[in-house]
Amino acid sequence: MKHLQYIIIFLISISSFCQTKISGIVTDKKNTPLAGVNIYLEGTYDGASTNEKGEFYFETTEKNTQTLIASMMSYETHYEMGDVSYLKGLKIILREAINELTGVTLTAGTFEAGGTSKASVLKPLDIVTTAGAAGDFVAALQTLPGTSTVNESGRLFVRGGTAGETQIFVDGLRVFQPFLATGNNIPTRGRLSPFLFKGISFSTGGYSAEYGQALSSVLQLNTTDLPDEEKTDLGIMSVGGNLGHTKIWGNKSLSVNTSYLNLAPYESLIPSNQGVSWNKPYESISGEAVYRSNYDKGIFKLYTGFSKSDLDIDQEDINYEDFINFKNKNSNLYFNASYKHFYDKEWTLYTGASVSVDKNDIGIITNTIENKETASHTKIKLKKSFTNRFSLNFGAEHFISDFSETFKDASNFSFDTGYTDNLTATFAETDIFFSNKFALKLGARAEYSSLLNNVTLSPRVTVAHKNNEHSQFSFAYGDFYQNPSRDYLKFDAGLKPQKTSHYILNYQSIKNKKTFRIEAYYKDYKSLVKYNTELPVFDAEYTNFGKGYATGLDIFWRDNKSIKNLDYWASYSYLDTKRNDRNFRESATPNFAAKHNLSLVTKYFIEDLRSQVGVSYNYASGRPYDNPNTPEFFAEKTKSYNNLSFNWAYLITQQKILFLSINNIASINNINGYQYANTPDATGNFNRRTIRPTADSFFFVGFFWTISKNKTTNQLDNL
Amino acid sequence: MKKVTLILAFLIANITLAQDQYTKGMQKAFELWGNGNTSEAANLFERIATAEPDNWLPYYYVAQINTIISFGEKDQEKLTKQLGKAQEYTDLAKAISKDNPEILIQQALVHTAWVAFDGATYGMTLSAKVNALYKKAIEIAPDNPRAIFSKAEWDMGTAQFFGQDVTPYCKDVERSIPLFDTYTSDIPFYPKWGKERAQMIAENCKE
Repeated sequence: MKHLQYIIIFLISISSFCQTKISGIVTDKKNTPLAGVNIYLEGTYDGASTNEKGEFYFETTEKNTQTLIASMMSYETHYEMGDVSYLKGLKIILREAINELTGVTLTAGTFEAGGTSKASVLKPLDIVTTAGAAGDFVAALQTLPGTSTVNESGRLFVRGGTAGETQIFVDGLRVFQPFLATGNNIPTRGRLSPFLFKGISFSTGGYSAEYGQALSSVLQLNTTDLPDEEKTDLGIMSVGGNLGHTKIWGNKSLSVNTSYLNLAPYESLIPSNQGVSWNKPYESISGEAVYRSNYDKGIFKLYTGFSKSDLDIDQEDINYEDFINFKNKNSNLYFNASYKHFYDKEWTLYTGASVSVDKNDIGIITNTIENKETASHTKIKLKKSFTNRFSLNFGAEHFISDFSETFKDASNFSFDTGYTDNLTATFAETDIFFSNKFALKLGARAEYSSLLNNVTLSPRVTVAHKNNEHSQFSFAYGDFYQNPSRDYLKFDAGLKPQKTSHYILNYQSIKNKKTFRIEAYYKDYKSLVKYNTELPVFDAEYTNFGKGYATGLDIFWRDNKSIKNLDYWASYSYLDTKRNDRNFRESATPNFAAKHNLSLVTKYFIEDLRSQVGVSYNYASGRPYDNPNTPEFFAEKTKSYNNLSFNWAYLITQQKILFLSINNIASINNINGYQYANTPDATGNFNRRTIRPTADSFFFVGFFWTISKNKTTNQLDNL
Repeated sequence: MKKVTLILAFLIANITLAQDQYTKGMQKAFELWGNGNTSEAANLFERIATAEPDNWLPYYYVAQINTIISFGEKDQEKLTKQLGKAQEYTDLAKAISKDNPEILIQQALVHTAWVAFDGATYGMTLSAKVNALYKKAIEIAPDNPRAIFSKAEWDMGTAQFFGQDVTPYCKDVERSIPLFDTYTSDIPFYPKWGKERAQMIAENCKE
C-alpha cells in the first residue's frame, strides 16, 4: 500500500514531464505570414518564434486550460484560451495596432510645439530662438499660418478674428489676463515666461469640446511635470534682468523666476519718438513660481504668477493740439492648481482651479478709470480609454467673473459700472480609431451663462483619413460661442453670446523631415455685438444683430534636412473676411485683417562659431481703414508691412550665452493706420495723422548664465 | 518519515527544475543573442519575463536589446516601435526593482538613442534627463563601471558638440576599466557589458 502511494506520487510527478505539441500559423489580415511573432503559454517558459512562413511549433509540459499569447510589435497582442491538447494547427490573425506616431492623427486646425507628437511642427527651441520674437512665445506663434500681423497689438489675431477671440489655457485652465497691460499703439507681450512650459498646442479652429468661450482659437500651454535638475539661471539684459532657481526634493520640486524690466536706460539711449514721448518708460516687476509634487499615481501642480507694471506716456492725437497723457498702473495675481490621478482600468481624473485678480489704475488726461476683475475657473474631467481604439473624455467646468469699474473726471463726476457672471459648462467627447487610416472625433459642449440667462449647445466633429504612408486629409466642423466682451457687458447685460461655425479642410504631408500643410476654412459669424455710437458708451444701444464671415487658405512648409545646419519654415495665409459688427454702417473688412500674410523664418547653426544665427522676414499686405473724406466705407488700405529681423545666440561656454537681436534691421517705416479728426476743417476736409510704431527698430542684448552641478545645461530655451 | 523525505525530494526536484528552466532559458537567450539572432533572443527574454514577474533581469534584457538595435536606425517608424518597446520594458523593470543603477543606466541609454536619432527635437528635453539619471546612478553605486563609463561617453559627445576638450572624460573612462573586473554581483546574469567598449574608447583617447 505504501509502495503504491509512492508509485502514484512518482507517476504524477513524471506525468508532468509529458510533452504536448503546440503548433500553428500566424498571418496578418491580408493573409501575409508574419515572421518573428512571439508565441507562448502565459506564465510558462514554453514558447517559440514564428519562422519566415509564419509557422510556429513548440512542446509543453503544461496541462488543462492555458492561455496562448501571440505578440509582435505594431500588432495587437492576441490571446487564445483553451485546453493545451486543442492548441494544434492554429490559425492566428493579428490585427494592426493603432500607432500614435505613424497612424492617422486628429490634427485639423492644430499646431503643436514642444511635444514629440506628430502634430508638432515647432520644436521647443523654436519658440524662443525665432528672430523678431525676442523671447515672447506669442510672437513666435505669429509666424504660423492663420495669424495676421497686427504690429501695434502684439496679441494673436486668428483667421479674421479679433484678439479677444483667442483664449489661453495653462494645464487646461483659463488664463484671464495673459498679456501685459500697455497703452494704445504699444505692442504687448505674453505675461507667461516660456521656459516653464514643456508643450504648446495652438489651434486655429475646430478645436475640442473641452474648450469654450473662444470664437477663433485656443492656445494650450502645459507646465513641466518634473524638472530634471537643480539650477540657478541668471540673465542680464539691456532692458532689465532675471533670476531663477529650481530646487528638487525627491518627488517634489519648486521653480521660481523673477524678472525686472525697465525701459528707461534704453529710452535714454535710443528714444522712441514717433508720436510719443515717455514720462515714465515701461517698468515692471514680476515673479512666477511652480510647485510640483509627483505621487505614485498622480501629479499635483501649482502655478503662481504675480506682476506689477507702471507706465506714463504722452501720445499724439489729431483731435488735440497737445499730446494726450496716458498712464497705467497694473497689478495682476494669478493662481493655477491642478491634480491628475491615474486610476486602474485606464481611467484618468483631472481636476483643477485657477483664480486671477487684476487691477488697473488708468489716467487719461484728467480722467481716471479704476477697474478690478476677479475671475475663477474650476474644472473636473474624466478620461477612459476602453481600448487604444476608443476613448471617452467628459467633464464639467464653472467660470465666475466679477468686474467693477469707476470712471471719474476732473470735476469729480463719477460713474460706476460692472457685472458678475456665473458660467457653467459640460462637455463630452470621444475618439474612435477605426484603423491606422481612419479616425473620428465626436464631441458636444453645453454652456449656461447666468448673466445672459442663455443656454448654448455646440457640436464638434473631426474626421481624418490617411491616404498614404506620409500624408492625410482631415475635416473639422464645430460651433463656438463666446460671451460679448466686458466693454459691452458692463453697460448692457441683455446681450446674447456671439457665435461662429468653423468648416476646415486640411491636408498634411510629413516626409523626410519636411512638413507641408495646407488648410482651407470657412467661418460664419453670427450674433456679433453692434452699437450705435462712436465708442461703446453707457447710453449706446447694443444689439446682437452683427454678422460676418472669414474664409481663406493657410499654407505651411518646413524643411530642416535639405541644407545642412539650416532649418527654415515658411507660412502663407490668404484671408478674405467681412464683418458688420460694432458701429460699422455696412459690411467691411476690419482694420486688423490683412489679405496676405507671409512669414519666413530661418535658423542657421555655425558649428565653428558655436552660434545660431536667425533671420526672419514678415510681410503683410495693407490693412483697411476708413477715410471719412470718401463716401465708401473702409475702402482704403495702408501700404504693406515689412519686417526683417535678425538674432544671434553665441555659446561662450555651455552655460554662458550671449544673445543679440535686432527687430526691423532695415528700419523700414511701417504704418499701423491713420487717425482722422472727429470734425472737418474749414474746407470741409477731415485731417488725418499717420499712426506709426513708437520706434521703427528695437535692439536687444542679453547675457545668460546657468549655474548647475553638471555643466551642460543652459538657457538657450529661455531666449 | 521516509514518506516525508521522499515527498520533499520530489518537491525539491520540481523546484530545481524550475530554477534550471530559468537558467537554461537565460543561457539559451544569451546564446541566441551571441549568434546575432536578436529578435529570437528578445522574444525568449520576453517569455522568461512574463513567467518571472518578480525578476527584473529578463525585462532589463528585452529593453537592452531593443535599445542597442535602435542606435543607427534611420527609419523613424521602426525606431519609434523599438524604443517604445525598450521604454515599456524599462518601466516594468523599474517597477520591480526601484532605484537600481543598472536600470537607471538602461533608461539613460533609451533617451540617448532618441537624442542620437534627432538631436534638434530631443536634445533639449532629454539631455537634462540623461544627466540626472547618470548622476543618480553614480550616487547609488559610485563604483559601477557602466555608470562611470556611460556617463563619460555621454559627456564626451556633448563636449565634442560644443568643441571642448574631452580629456577629463578620458580619465573617467580609464578609471572605469579595472572596475569592470572588481564590480561583480552574486545575482546570476547580472549585467556585465561595457569593458570592451570602454577599452576601445580609451584607445581612441590616446590617439
